[in-house]
Amino acid sequence: MRFDATELTAEELDLQAEVREYLDKRLTPGSYPLGLGMSGAVDPEFSRDIGSRGWLGMSLPQKYGGGGRSAVDRLVVVEELLARGAPVGYHWIGDRQSGPSIAANGTEEQKQHFLPGIARGEFSFSIGMSEPDSGSDLASLRTRAERVDGGWKVNGTKIWTTGAFHATHILALLRTSADKHSGLTQLIIDRHSEGLTVSPIPFIDGSEDFCEVSFQDVFVPDSRRLGDVGAGWGQNTGELALERGGVDRWMSLMPVLEHWAAHQAADGGPAALADLGSITARCWAFRGMSLSIARMVDAGRSPVTEAALIKEMATRFEQDCVAVVSRHLGRAPDLASEDPYESLLARAVLVAPSWSIRGGTNEILRTVIVKGLNR
Amino acid sequence: MNSVSQHNDYAFDADLEAMVEQFFAEKSDADVVAKAEVEGLPTGLWDAAVELGLPLVGLPESAGGSGGSLLDAVTVQRAAARHAAPLPLAETYLAGRLAVAAGLPVPAGIATTAPGSHRDTATFDVTVSGTLYDVPWAGAAAVVAVILGDRVVILNVADAEVGDGTDLAGQPRQSLTFTGAPAVIGENPVDVRLLSRLGAFLRSVQMAAAMEAVSTLTQRYVSERVQFGRPVAQFQAVQQHIVTLAQMASMSTLAVDRTAIALNTREAEFEVLATKLVVSQNALLSVRAAHQAHGAIGMTQEYRLQQLTRRLHAWRCEFGDEIALAVQLGRGVSASPSLPRLLTDPHPTLELTS
Repeated sequence: MRFDATELTAEELDLQAEVREYLDKRLTPGSYPLGLGMSGAVDPEFSRDIGSRGWLGMSLPQKYGGGGRSAVDRLVVVEELLARGAPVGYHWIGDRQSGPSIAANGTEEQKQHFLPGIARGEFSFSIGMSEPDSGSDLASLRTRAERVDGGWKVNGTKIWTTGAFHATHILALLRTSADKHSGLTQLIIDRHSEGLTVSPIPFIDGSEDFCEVSFQDVFVPDSRRLGDVGAGWGQNTGELALERGGVDRWMSLMPVLEHWAAHQAADGGPAALADLGSITARCWAFRGMSLSIARMVDAGRSPVTEAALIKEMATRFEQDCVAVVSRHLGRAPDLASEDPYESLLARAVLVAPSWSIRGGTNEILRTVIVKGLNR
Repeated sequence: MNSVSQHNDYAFDADLEAMVEQFFAEKSDADVVAKAEVEGLPTGLWDAAVELGLPLVGLPESAGGSGGSLLDAVTVQRAAARHAAPLPLAETYLAGRLAVAAGLPVPAGIATTAPGSHRDTATFDVTVSGTLYDVPWAGAAAVVAVILGDRVVILNVADAEVGDGTDLAGQPRQSLTFTGAPAVIGENPVDVRLLSRLGAFLRSVQMAAAMEAVSTLTQRYVSERVQFGRPVAQFQAVQQHIVTLAQMASMSTLAVDRTAIALNTREAEFEVLATKLVVSQNALLSVRAAHQAHGAIGMTQEYRLQQLTRRLHAWRCEFGDEIALAVQLGRGVSASPSLPRLLTDPHPTLELTS
């Protein structure tokens, strides 16, 4: 497995400077709740603001309101957002996954309807995959969509559905026949459909972004079916590739790391400096890998194995960073601390184990990687 | 194989890569490496490498080198390391680089450098006296190039008392004691960190290449080795080791490639430190995973794996151990205004204290 060396071009660095300049003003310290990477706060206004600057839906086609830009351009924007712990929660999933998936698999009408809203930061998507008895084993999904006049009737329960509470749409993977893999179909479901209930599941840190979604005879018009009947499995696999290789897999703690590096590490003596040096070196190495993956995507390749390989180790690294910074604090960080960095670190301590679960557990990813290596 | 995207101005030479890979694959098998541990430098292999100009690839022809870029030198070192070639190629190249930086001709024959042990006592005052420790291939070399003060100093090994010793890979690593030895002194003062920077970089190049070889070797072994009625590669617990090896190797190689390209145009101090640190840490994880996946066979002298893993151990500790590198890097980072900006800077610079 080989990652080609690449760095940003002059144009890409211009974009970086532009984004920095804007975010330095838009997100002054203290003016927004710090977030842990992709779990940043939900702030529809912020999402619309960056959407209006062309920084959402960047890789979507221009004819549907997207930027028609490269994966690298998107990486440049995303790493600036994550470095600040920006409130990306409202638009994150639509921008990263659902938008590209609809662009790849949707009908003309779906593209015209959904993509401009995603690029403007108006639509918020949630992914309905896991179920109470199906986590990694999607082939065992049971929530059904049955054919009815003009569309589908959905019944069942999805769980661990991040962001469903504030989402405008849920992109759900549903069982349309008994065939394990070919019996799954994706539907784009209006979050406010009749019969659809969202119940927050209080998360380990007290947040309520994690949800259970139950469907009771929810009608979904056939025009909201994404791709062919039975094509859901394959489409989902493609979606996961988009989800796995990015900088978001190792930048969750970045606001805390930056603060620690600039204000605290030096006081910790050689032990803290050595930890800081190690963390920095590894962040630099991961950044090179994420950038290399983005170039592969722009070159039309599908770096599924490479993305899984990065995610598997980067999510462990993120967790190591939490442990290291906590250790140098010298006591348990306080969730209610007035210091926003300490409070964020406390949340990180609690939620970090989830980082190697979401988007595919490490155990499953290792199987994906080995299969890819043997090809 | 070492393609670099069009987003860089520099690229590795695929023809050179193919040529050196074939050369070392044919001439540096496990028996050759094992024999060198007993008998010392395999002079036939060295002569063959010299005939192709390999030791001096990447050094300017005008100074007596073979020509080519730093990336070409990397290509040669990597192929040699993949096959555990028991030759002082990195050392000879490094000594040549020091000579060129100081305005001296590239030394003829085998050359080496002292990696800079804290025990070193050599001082320079018209002549050189004192001891240089842990000098790789010292006894086989004609000359040793070191930086004393801000000058490159080239000494004849014939003027030294050569100590005994080998590194963890069984390659020569000796002390050199000089008493009033005459020296060739470089014309230009040089950056005192030049040697540690280039040495750290070259060891990273070698380690990343060895990790690739270890990864490939292990993947092959576990697919052939049958236990409980099936290849051990099919056990998930074994697959975990395969994944670790691929991760460590690919991450290390990419870091080395990026740093090589950066070094073409600037000192790239940040990248060199970060790369050596990451690669050294990865090397240890690779060694453990590879031996675990191999079981007992990997621990035997007859099998190739240990030739590679022992080199990884030796190289990890040279030109900066992990603690020293991490503290140095961490100190620089803590003095820089922003960690994420440093990481995304195309030319990251640090305030470093040596």
